[in-house]
Parts: sequence; structure tokens; C-alpha cells
Amino acid sequence: MIKGENKKEQSMDFAQITFTGLTTLSSISILLIATLGLAVIFGMMGVINLAHGEFIMLGAFVTLFSTQAGVPFVLSLGLSFVALAIYGAVIEYIIIRHLYGRLFDTLLATWGIGLVMYQGAILLFGSYTSGIGLPAGTIGIGKYTMSSYFGILILVSVILTATVYLIFVKTKYGVMSRAAIQNPQMAGSIGIPTKKINTITFSFGSGLAGLAGGLLVPAFPATPDMGVAFVSKAFLAVVTAGPMIISGAVTTLIGVGGVSSISGIIFTSVIGDVVFFTITILILRFFPTGVSGGWHGKL
Amino acid sequence: MVSFNSGGEAGKKMKISASFWWLYPSVFFLLALIFALTTSQYLAYLATSWAVFGLLAFSLDIIWGKGGDLSLGQTVFFGVGAYTYGIVAINLAPVLGNSLLLAVLFGGLSGVLVSGIIGYFIYYGRLGPLQTTIITYTMVLIMATVAISTSFELGSARVGGANGMTGIPPLTIDILGFNSLTRHGALVATLTIIFIVTLVVVAVLKKPFGLVIDGIRQDVLKTELLGYDVRKYRLALFTIAGCVAGVAGGLYSSWAAYVSPSIFAVTQALLIPIYVLVGGRGSLYGGFLGALFIGWLTFWLGGGVAGGQTTLILGAILILLVLFVPKGASGLINSIIGKTMRKTHAPINEESIAPDLEKLNYFLEEPEEKKVILETKGLNKKFGGVVATDNVNMSFYNKGIHCLIGPNGAGKSTYLNTCIGVIKPDSGYIVFKDEKIEKLEPCQRVQLGMGIKLQVAKVLEEKTVWDNLWLSSYSKIKNKEEANDIVMSVSDIIGLRHKLYVNAEELSHGEQQWLDIGMVLSLKPEIIFLDEPAAGMTKIERDRTVNILHILSKFVGVVVVEHDMDFIRALESPVTVLHQGAVFTSGSIEELRQNPEVLDIYLGRQKDA
Repeated sequence: MIKGENKKEQSMDFAQITFTGLTTLSSISILLIATLGLAVIFGMMGVINLAHGEFIMLGAFVTLFSTQAGVPFVLSLGLSFVALAIYGAVIEYIIIRHLYGRLFDTLLATWGIGLVMYQGAILLFGSYTSGIGLPAGTIGIGKYTMSSYFGILILVSVILTATVYLIFVKTKYGVMSRAAIQNPQMAGSIGIPTKKINTITFSFGSGLAGLAGGLLVPAFPATPDMGVAFVSKAFLAVVTAGPMIISGAVTTLIGVGGVSSISGIIFTSVIGDVVFFTITILILRFFPTGVSGGWHGKL
Repeated sequence: MVSFNSGGEAGKKMKISASFWWLYPSVFFLLALIFALTTSQYLAYLATSWAVFGLLAFSLDIIWGKGGDLSLGQTVFFGVGAYTYGIVAINLAPVLGNSLLLAVLFGGLSGVLVSGIIGYFIYYGRLGPLQTTIITYTMVLIMATVAISTSFELGSARVGGANGMTGIPPLTIDILGFNSLTRHGALVATLTIIFIVTLVVVAVLKKPFGLVIDGIRQDVLKTELLGYDVRKYRLALFTIAGCVAGVAGGLYSSWAAYVSPSIFAVTQALLIPIYVLVGGRGSLYGGFLGALFIGWLTFWLGGGVAGGQTTLILGAILILLVLFVPKGASGLINSIIGKTMRKTHAPINEESIAPDLEKLNYFLEEPEEKKVILETKGLNKKFGGVVATDNVNMSFYNKGIHCLIGPNGAGKSTYLNTCIGVIKPDSGYIVFKDEKIEKLEPCQRVQLGMGIKLQVAKVLEEKTVWDNLWLSSYSKIKNKEEANDIVMSVSDIIGLRHKLYVNAEELSHGEQQWLDIGMVLSLKPEIIFLDEPAAGMTKIERDRTVNILHILSKFVGVVVVEHDMDFIRALESPVTVLHQGAVFTSGSIEELRQNPEVLDIYLGRQKDA
């Protein structure tokens, strides 16, 4: 009798551990999805798009409205990507490209863009909080259940990261853009159109932000300030990543994001945020070149 | 002769303008006081907040305009100052009857504490400008959520999460018999505190501290190689800015009588760089103008700061400012004045004055005996898969010249940079004057007696020749009078006495090289590293450099990295050949010219060919 009860408790513990593990993994994958676009722009252009959170928000609204209009979810995701990619190209063309080489001015301009978008969203959509239903069923682990959509997100984050990595390592555009960031003058003098590459990169990064918004909207209601929840961690992960931007950011998000997510589960999500901030600032204190500082690799 | 006179007059003008540094703030303060005493009660009340935000903008310009780092997190120090004043004043103001001092003291202290901790990680971690900005920005995002979810009671003060904190006492001064200040009184008190804080900061930012900060803004590495611990100076500046923001926060919550987490909102943080940009970055006082202008504009437009479209308009303003007027109002004025001023400053007579190298004999002291001063043992450094320094054992004397040669990529510059500390070795020892120094920072090694002139001439372009030389002269002796004397001697030695008050950016390429050498000399080092000193020089300039190195080497050890073989032959010194990071061979230049293996590595011939 007692033995049986013990066994039951143990299996519940196991369920709890699995559940915590899955939750942590899914929150890491959500962060990863939200960070990729930022990492691409930072890694290939050396600038941080402070409006990244608002780009995600806009992508979320695009998916929300198109699914409400009857477009299938997966197609809506594509729409979010394309819409934000076009939007990003326009922003790059009329604002960002005039500020290259002026780091702080670029940051301030994207900050301004973000706030205009935020306020614009409030005016246009109100404090819209309608979401769309989670597209898939649930997974049960012992007495815990979680939406299987979170499981899908884990898979999607892996595929997405691998795709981005391959694009920059294998394609002609990827190689040219990595050359452009390493030595812009040299790249320009051997005929790489650095201006065009920058437009494409900003557009691609923006598209990824839009796709992130679309992927997140079933799990998080679309509101004008929804991006804020992800961006502080995304910003920190990107500046902590170091020279191998993709693998560095992934490592940071798995390590620091994991610890922060677990402390978020144990305490509150605010403590999770503070833990994330504290750990990254500690990492930067002792590894100023970032987590991937001493690595050999391409990205 | 003519040009000497014009330099002297420009110098006098500069000295006069430097001794009237308190004039601007005093005039502004008087004007503000006149306004404060004549305006309506309501406008006085509003103007108090504009002045407080002006002080906050001033704090940003300290770190951004002066220090060159964009902090988007000044509102964090501001907000923490506001909360701290609230908690302390609610508990202590009824007892003390004097909340003015509390606002300044506790606002400032909390600002110092928070900015000190954050600044320590930023500057002792040697983070880049982008990382610094992002860290300060995420600090805002995180503080916003922390403030919303934090509620506690401390004595009679209650911090109520999203509800904020209410019942914060206004400014009171007991000594003058006021119990609580009127709105006009509060404005006058606020303005007075702002005036004092501003004066103190501007006084601190004078020489030498301010000059070091100017150096850091223009070239962090050069300033460090002049022997200043840039981490310490940057942290100090960041903390001063945090302190000022904290004081502003204390004043703010005494004005508003209420603090809520919205003080940490991104929309709030956005205003501060806008104020600075409107007023003009780098002008320090510009922030006050910006805050006044934007404050008045929103008042005139009839919308409160919390109004619906304000964020939209301000965001757009920020984009437009950055795109079209990055230097702001005072920047525009300065560039107009600067153009006319520069014409009068420009030297009329361009005659070049030959360096007076004989003076070196009086300037430096000859070491008593020739001995090894610097030694590296088993020094190794890898970059990724590339071995840049491969088990290098070398020693250098405290007088005489030693040349390092080798083909491109032989690891010469890496070796010099490892000796001076810019690059940390993977393994091995560096012994300088019987002390292991491989773990010391570059500035510490310079303080011990090393000096380096990097490949590209590094001078502080926005500063005069005098300031450039003074900065390096002051570094080790920390005595203003002696530093002045060194500047005079060195300017004779390098032949730039007649251009002491000319900005370094107006010097010719050769003159900048000389100034750079002069800055290294001003440190009175015991060993000097010169990375390609003859690069880009004409034959006359090169001969002159050979001459100076010969005289110099009587007093200090000189290590020269160079490609120019004629130059090296003229130096008549021992030569070491580096190849693929390792010591290949040593000898006189004539011996090396006979050595077929040396020719092989220089010409890239294979050994079996």
C-alpha cells in the first residue's frame, strides 16, 4: 500500500519534471523564434533594430486579420513574412540606409520607428486583444496538459534556425552578406553590391520578425505591446552572442533562457527577466567578446 | 614668427574663455529666476517639471555628449531616485521638516548606487558602444515590469506595484521658516539646486578629468596607452550622470507628489534623447533648452505628455532629428560660429620649424648601466587556428635600438601589442623591470614605464596640440605645473611650439606623426615601441626620424618594427627576424642580408626550390 503510493508520487514527480522540461524548452523555442530576425540584421549589418518588437507585433496582426478573413493559418504565416519583408525593405530604403556608420543615430531612428508603430497600432487596432484559437490539440503528461502547438513551436524553431543558418552559409547571397559585414570596402571593391545586400538583409530580418509574430499569435494575444515581452531577452541574447551570431544566440537562449525560464516557473516571470539580465551582464563582464568569442565556425 | 604670435593670441583667448566657464550657467540661471518670479502660478508649476527634465537631459548629455556612450537608461536612475526620495521623504520629512536636502541626497545616492553597479559591468567588462546602449535599454524594459509587480511597505511609505506611490511630500525648507514651499518657491528651489548641480558637474568636467574624458570619447585605446585607466574614468563619468539623474528623480517626485511605474515606460525614456538632440548633443546645456522647448511646445499644443498622439509625434520627431539635424540647435549655431572662428585661428605662415632634438638631452635622463629591462618567455598567442605568436623568447635593453622585421603576417604587431597589453597572451611570461606584467592592463604597463606609438598616428583630433601633449604629460606625474613644463619642452623637441593652440586635426600628416611621438615622449618612458614609424614619410622626414631615434636610444630602449630596409640599415642596430609568429634568427642587418634563409622567407621561396 505504502509502496504503491510512493510509486505514484515518483511517477508524478517524473511527470512534473517532464512537464517543466517541456515548458522550458517551449519558452526557449519561442524566444529563439522571436530573436532570429534581430540576429540576422545584427549579424549581417551590425545594427540593432530597436523596433524589432513592433515588427513582431505587426506580423502578428497580419496573421490575425488574414486568418479571420478565412485564409488558412499556414498561408497567413507566409503572408506575415512577405508583408513585413516588404515593410522592412521600405524602412531600410527611406530611413536606415542614410544612417550607416552612425551607430547611435541608427538605434535612435529605429527606436522612433518602434514608437510610431506602437502608437499607430493603438490608434488603428485599439487595445485589440482577440487571438486565434490554438491550431492543434493537447499533449497530456500525467495530470499536466499542454497544447501540442507548443510542441510544434519547438520543432518549428529548430527548422527555422537551421534554414537561416544554411541560407547564410550555403547560398551566394549569404556568403556575399557575410563578406559585406566583415570588410565592407573590400567586399564593395570586388563587386559585391553592399547597399543592395543591406536592403535584402534588413528585409529578410524584418520578414523573420513578421513570421515570428504570426507563429506567436495563437499562443499570445495580439496587442500593440506584445513584442515587448520578447525583445529585452532577444536584445540581450544578440549582444551576448559574439561573432558567431546564430550559434552564439542559440547557445545563450538555451543556457540563459533555460535558467531564466525555470526561475520564472519557480518564482514569477519578472524574476525570470531579472535573472536573464543578471546572467547576461555577468557573461559579458567575463567574456566581453561574447559566448562565441573563442569558437571556430561560420555563423 | 608671425605664426607664433597668432598661436599665442589664440591661446590667451582660450585661457580667458576657460576661466569664465561659470558664466553661461549663471546667465541662464538669472534669466530662469526672473521668469520664475514673474510668471503665473500654473506656468511656474509646469516650468518646474521642464527644469527637472532638463536636468535629466543634462545627465544624458554628460554620458553621451561628453563620454560618447548612448545611455537609453537614464530614466531608470531617474525613477529609482524618485522612488527613493518618496520612501525616505514620507518617513523622514515630517520629522526633519526639510525635504529639500533629502531629495538631493537620497535621489543622488540611489542614482550613484544603481549606475555604479551597472557601469561597473559595462566598463570593467569593456563592452562595446552597442552593447552598452542595449544593456541600458533592456534595463528600462525590465525595470518597467519589476516596478509594476513590486509592492511593499517601508515605514509609512507604501510602494503599490502598478498603483505606484502616493502622498510624497513636496519640497520644504525649514531654515527659512517656510513650512511648505509655494509653487513659485518650489520652482526657485528647484532651479537653485539645478544650478548648483550643473556648476559642480561642469567644474568636475574641467581639466584634468574632463580632458581625459575628451580623450576617451575620441579614442579609448590611445587614452589608455597614455596610461589612464579608462575603465575607472568611464565608470566615474557614468556614475556622475547616474547621480544627476537620481537628483532629478528626487526633485521630480517632490513636484509630482506621486510616482508610478510609468516613470520607467519606454515612451518616457524616449523623451530624454529627444531633449538632448533638440538642444544639441555635446553642448551639456542643450538638454535644458530641449526640455524647455518640447515642454513648452506640448503645453502650447494643449496636450499633456500622456496624450494619445504625443508618442506618435515624438517618435516621428526623433526620426526626423536623427535624419536631418543630428547636431541639434546648438550644433547648428556652433558650426556657424565655428566656421568664422576657424578662419581667424588658421596659421598665417606655414613655415615649418625644425625639431630641436638637442633638447632631448636635457629632457631625459641617461640610465646608469645598460641592462635588460623587458623580457618575454615562452610567449604564445593563437587567433582561431592561426598561431600569431609562437613561443617567443626575447629580451630588450634599457638603451639602444632593437629592430623587428619579418614578412606580412609574421606576428610583429601582435607581439608588440602583447608586450603593451592590448592583447593578452595564451601562455608565457612578460617580465618588465623584474616584475611579471602579463596580467596587467595596458594603462598599468604604461605607468610602469612602457610607451608605444601605434602604426597609424593617433592624436586627439578635436583637441589642440597643447591639450594632446598635456594629457600625456599629466598621466604619470599628476602635477599640473610640471605637466605644463613638459609640454613646453616636448613641443620644442618635436618642432610644434608655434602650433600649440592649433587643433590636431588641422596638422599635416607628418606633423601628426611627430605629435604622436611627442605624446609618447611626454610619458618619459623607459622603453618605447614604435610600429612602422617611417611609414608614409618623405626622405627628409625619414632621416629626421632616424636622427631622433639615435638620440632617443641613448636614454631609453627603442624597439622598432619596420619594413623599410634602408631605414633599418640607417639605425645600425641588432635585428630580429620573425616568421610565422616565431623568432627566426637574429643579427646585424648586414649578416641577415647574407643569410639565404632570410631571403627565402622574404621572397616566399620554398626551401627545396
